[in-house]
Amino acid sequence: MTDEVILRVRDLRTYFNTDEGVVKAVDGVSFELRKGETLGIVGESGSGKSVTNLSIMNMIPNPPGKIVGGEVLFGERDLLKMPPREIREIRGNKISMIFQDPMTSLNPFLRISTQMMETIMLHQGLGKKDAKAKAIEMLALAGIPAPEKRIDAYPHQFSGGMRQRVMIAMSLSCNPEILIADEPTSALDVTIQAQILDLMKDLTARLGTAVILITHSLGVVAGTCDTLCVMYAGRVVERGATEDVFAAPKHPYTRGLIKSVPRLDIASDGRLSSIQGQPPNVIDLPECCPFYPRCDQAKDICKKKYPERSDFGNGHSAACWLYSEAK
Amino acid sequence: MKFPKVRNLRIGGKADAELNEFAQSMKPVSLWADAWKRLRKNKMALGGLYIVAFYVVACLAAPILPIYHYEDQVIAHANLPPSLRPAGEVMLDTRMAYMGKVMKAEARTSFNAKEQAEIQAMKADVAINPQHKRVYVLGTDNLGRDLLSRTLYGGRISIMIGLVGTITATLVGILLGSIAGYAGGRVDNFIMRFVDILYGLPYMLVVIIMMAVFGKNVINLFVAIALVSWLTLARVVRGQVMSLKNAEFVEAARSMGASPARIVFRHLTPNTLGVIVVFATLLVPDFIMSESFLSFLGLGVSAPLASWGSLVSEGTATMELYPWQLLVPAISMTLFLFAMNFLGDGLRDALDPQSKNRA
Repeated sequence: MTDEVILRVRDLRTYFNTDEGVVKAVDGVSFELRKGETLGIVGESGSGKSVTNLSIMNMIPNPPGKIVGGEVLFGERDLLKMPPREIREIRGNKISMIFQDPMTSLNPFLRISTQMMETIMLHQGLGKKDAKAKAIEMLALAGIPAPEKRIDAYPHQFSGGMRQRVMIAMSLSCNPEILIADEPTSALDVTIQAQILDLMKDLTARLGTAVILITHSLGVVAGTCDTLCVMYAGRVVERGATEDVFAAPKHPYTRGLIKSVPRLDIASDGRLSSIQGQPPNVIDLPECCPFYPRCDQAKDICKKKYPERSDFGNGHSAACWLYSEAK
Repeated sequence: MKFPKVRNLRIGGKADAELNEFAQSMKPVSLWADAWKRLRKNKMALGGLYIVAFYVVACLAAPILPIYHYEDQVIAHANLPPSLRPAGEVMLDTRMAYMGKVMKAEARTSFNAKEQAEIQAMKADVAINPQHKRVYVLGTDNLGRDLLSRTLYGGRISIMIGLVGTITATLVGILLGSIAGYAGGRVDNFIMRFVDILYGLPYMLVVIIMMAVFGKNVINLFVAIALVSWLTLARVVRGQVMSLKNAEFVEAARSMGASPARIVFRHLTPNTLGVIVVFATLLVPDFIMSESFLSFLGLGVSAPLASWGSLVSEGTATMELYPWQLLVPAISMTLFLFAMNFLGDGLRDALDPQSKNRA
């Protein structure tokens, strides 16, 4: 990991116009990704993790979705302002994605070889033969036994874990600078999860790929990520190096999340603590801290104004009124 | 706090090949191979397939088969019933049977002189004229043309219309349907309203006007049928594409940098092919029926060309006296349509992945 920042997301806002009102799925998210870094984005369902990443790729379905503000700088260029033809050259080539459900993210009608070679031929300009060789090589890297035999198989002939391996091989086949993994292990069974995470970590380290890992498992984050963003109701409430955040979580929400993970090293009285209540509906949220109804340290100010970001050094910051005074 | 790392389980120093001795290995089986396997188990569909194949081969090979040309007229052989005997004998038999009837009606017991003379002349002609050696297995029509040959050549036109209609319908339907479905919004609206308008026009009227304006020939018939053939298919494809376009694999393809055209034609249409194939096989009999209907109304192919429709139409005029002129083309057509429908039904079952590994 170097200090060279390759992706800079600034004040990203993605809204969805629905019949019920404007859903502010992502509302002012900022973060940076350095070369070779693994960034974890955690949060409950509906906190805007996936939308953030679809916005980075400029793949928000429009309508109903719309990126209304902010910028995503990849190197010098803003991905949000790129014409479709150019951004297609970046997708899959410089930035690629792995999806949550490997059972549905491969086209059931096309052979694995067709799908893998398509990407390689599209971006690297290789011929059929070379593309196939490359695809086989990538499958081997991803731990598919006998890849030269399996490559002509159809997706339904693979198990879930195998398909996710294929997806990983596919997304890394053009040697991208950034890999976005949207809950890559959520749909897999537990024994496979560790293998897949390990494989991802191993391969991206070898290829020097930066990773944005979306997950709602803190365990996964602790095991794999260098830095961490905690999202709540479309905003990043806390971010920092993984060790710092786990050692001294600042935001009450982060604390709640960490407390709700079962621990082996601390004796417990048998009940796991959890955060009370449900995550908020992000339609027409008032200008306040969206977490205050569930927060045990809420103050009056929390109901009135969204808190400023407080810095704790080493890139660790949190948005909470506990650390900043209202002006 | 650090969570423990989990490494891949490795047993000793075993090589991969050894570890994976029992790993599942499957032969890649495509949807089509799978469907074919299931189709073969379906007796009705397979029978349909054989019949369709037989018709197609017979009609295609009509010019090289040892049959008479469909335009060959032998006036003396008009209205002969189906028979394996030479035409001369059949002609004599029918003539004599007719004379017998006249004789009975006139309460005579033997042929009169004029009739005797006619029979003698006929017999002499049969003996020397090689034309009377012809055999009409399925009888002849009112101009003395071989019905077998006319039915086969008629089949060429009918089946061709069915195929041309289906192919145009499929190509245009896939193209416009998938564009409308994937693009959505204004494009979708435009294409679909156009389809609605064409739907709204009375089909028969359009065809009749077209045939009247541009003249009655086979090409115009093709155009008229193809013009409105793709409407339903476009709707079907649009619906399929719409339901698939938000599938995760489409999103994955987009995230790999595939262009919209590529997504539509490489990723989405293969997924709708199953439905299209079934729909197309059921379209073929539809077109044959509508061509027959047009020919029956006198709007189809014109003589001396024949299609099943025009043959049936001619046959109905004489069905009381010479029923084979109606039955031969009607039965041939019905059999083909039956076979085609069974085949379509079988394909629907075969291409339905739900029925995999059942029965």
